[in-house]
Amino acid sequence: MTKKNRQRLTRGAMYALFVVVLIALATTADWESIRTNFFDEAVWKDLWPDLILVAAWNTIKYTALSFAGALALALVLALMRMSPVAPYRWLATLFIETFRGLPALVVIILLAFGVPLAFGYNWPEIGWLGLSSNTTGGILALILVGSAYMAETLRAGIQAVPKGQAEAARSLGMSAPRTMVTVVLPQAVRVVIPPMTNEFVLLLKDTALLSVIGMQAVERDLLAFGQNGLTTYANSSPLMAVAIVYLLIAIPITQLVAWMERRQQKAR
Amino acid sequence: MKRFLTPLAAGVLALSLAACGSDSDDEPKSADGSVTTIADGKLTVCADVPYPPFEDFDKSSPTGFKGYDIDIVQEVADHLDLELVVRDADFNSLQGGLEFATNKCDLGASAMTITEKREEKITFSDPYYESMQSLLVPEGSDIKSIDDLDGKKVGVQKGTTGESYANDNATGAKIVIFPSDGEMWPALKGGQVDALLQDLPVNVEHEKAGGYTIVEEYATDESYGLAMKKDSPLAAKVNEALDAIRESGRYQEIYDSYFSAK
Repeated sequence: MTKKNRQRLTRGAMYALFVVVLIALATTADWESIRTNFFDEAVWKDLWPDLILVAAWNTIKYTALSFAGALALALVLALMRMSPVAPYRWLATLFIETFRGLPALVVIILLAFGVPLAFGYNWPEIGWLGLSSNTTGGILALILVGSAYMAETLRAGIQAVPKGQAEAARSLGMSAPRTMVTVVLPQAVRVVIPPMTNEFVLLLKDTALLSVIGMQAVERDLLAFGQNGLTTYANSSPLMAVAIVYLLIAIPITQLVAWMERRQQKAR
Repeated sequence: MKRFLTPLAAGVLALSLAACGSDSDDEPKSADGSVTTIADGKLTVCADVPYPPFEDFDKSSPTGFKGYDIDIVQEVADHLDLELVVRDADFNSLQGGLEFATNKCDLGASAMTITEKREEKITFSDPYYESMQSLLVPEGSDIKSIDDLDGKKVGVQKGTTGESYANDNATGAKIVIFPSDGEMWPALKGGQVDALLQDLPVNVEHEKAGGYTIVEEYATDESYGLAMKKDSPLAAKVNEALDAIRESGRYQEIYDSYFSAK
């Protein structure tokens, strides 16, 4: 047997093994029980259209609000972290270490329950966005946690831009802020796109934690909606439906970002 | 080639054997009249803890748990001559039947109301507790009854009878759904909701803590049952045990120790 033939056979055997394992798994699984527990059509039909109009919409809204807020705060934190003024650096470091180290659930409970309990202050209700006071507090918490992660990502991106770029811009007579905005940040953005996509997806799933602080029916996000269905129908099908919607939100967005990235690479 | 294929064949064989093996021993059977449970000589009971006074953690107890449900299943286990093992589980997977279908628990004892929907997936024992709902408000609140909830925020627990009772009867109220009493209670104290509508015993605990008062109680014609795998042969044994406990007066003793000293 030649070496090439042997290689071909080995590879064939690998594929065969893969197929055999798949078939073995498929034949041993109890499909009927999987279908009735996870893919009950009657339940899925019942979830429509609230699954999209209420649950998916709220999840998108909470994610967009917390991502936008976190990004803005992260930029400030990243710049503070690199500031020549020492107290700014200390403050930013303290903030980042604290909120990166705390589980998001704890921060949400601290803001939504702790603040009202301690100070008798309830977060504002934002009617036009459909946010009740707890949800406002919860989104603030997600912003704090998200920004702590993003600030470090942004800082890494900014520091990845060669120093010469800033020096060249300054020697052309640009001011420091101008240099940051027109020369350094646009180049940093390219570097941070992949890790930022990760932060986005993490935040998308973290919005599910908001249900611990209490939600009215119209405020339910995808996971809360799914769990509610779980109790209503005593069946796991709603969770599967919700899982698919999460993927339907996350995958197009991450693919869009990947496409933008490829286009930028070409332009480079 | 042979060197490669032999372990492969062995692997597939082992896999199919394992698949056959798991089928044979998943149904409790009682050929000689004794009970077969998922762990030999033990009655594994799952509860979503904490939910005082029905179930709570207790380091000093032999099972690590205490509460009304735990006391009841302890009696059941004693009657069946089994050792009681209690496991903390998620309420959703209990009431959807997943914990039983996957042989993780023999019994679910988690203040679980017997409903038709749940009975499609699990088998319930005879009722062991009649459930009452109640409305808790801060002392001095102008909410005197469920009719005063119009425009007010009332906290309920996700997926409970309290939630459906509020949905059906609290007209005009803003119903805020929480995962459990652990979140509802601080929300009432922090003023994020104006009242809590949930199982009476839980609200009784809060009333005892002071500053809050139960203004109304509601009979819901619903009762709690011990849950188990659909059509489990264990059901008959458990019902027998419950009957025996009632007859011996032990049931009343347990009931009074939790619910009569208001």
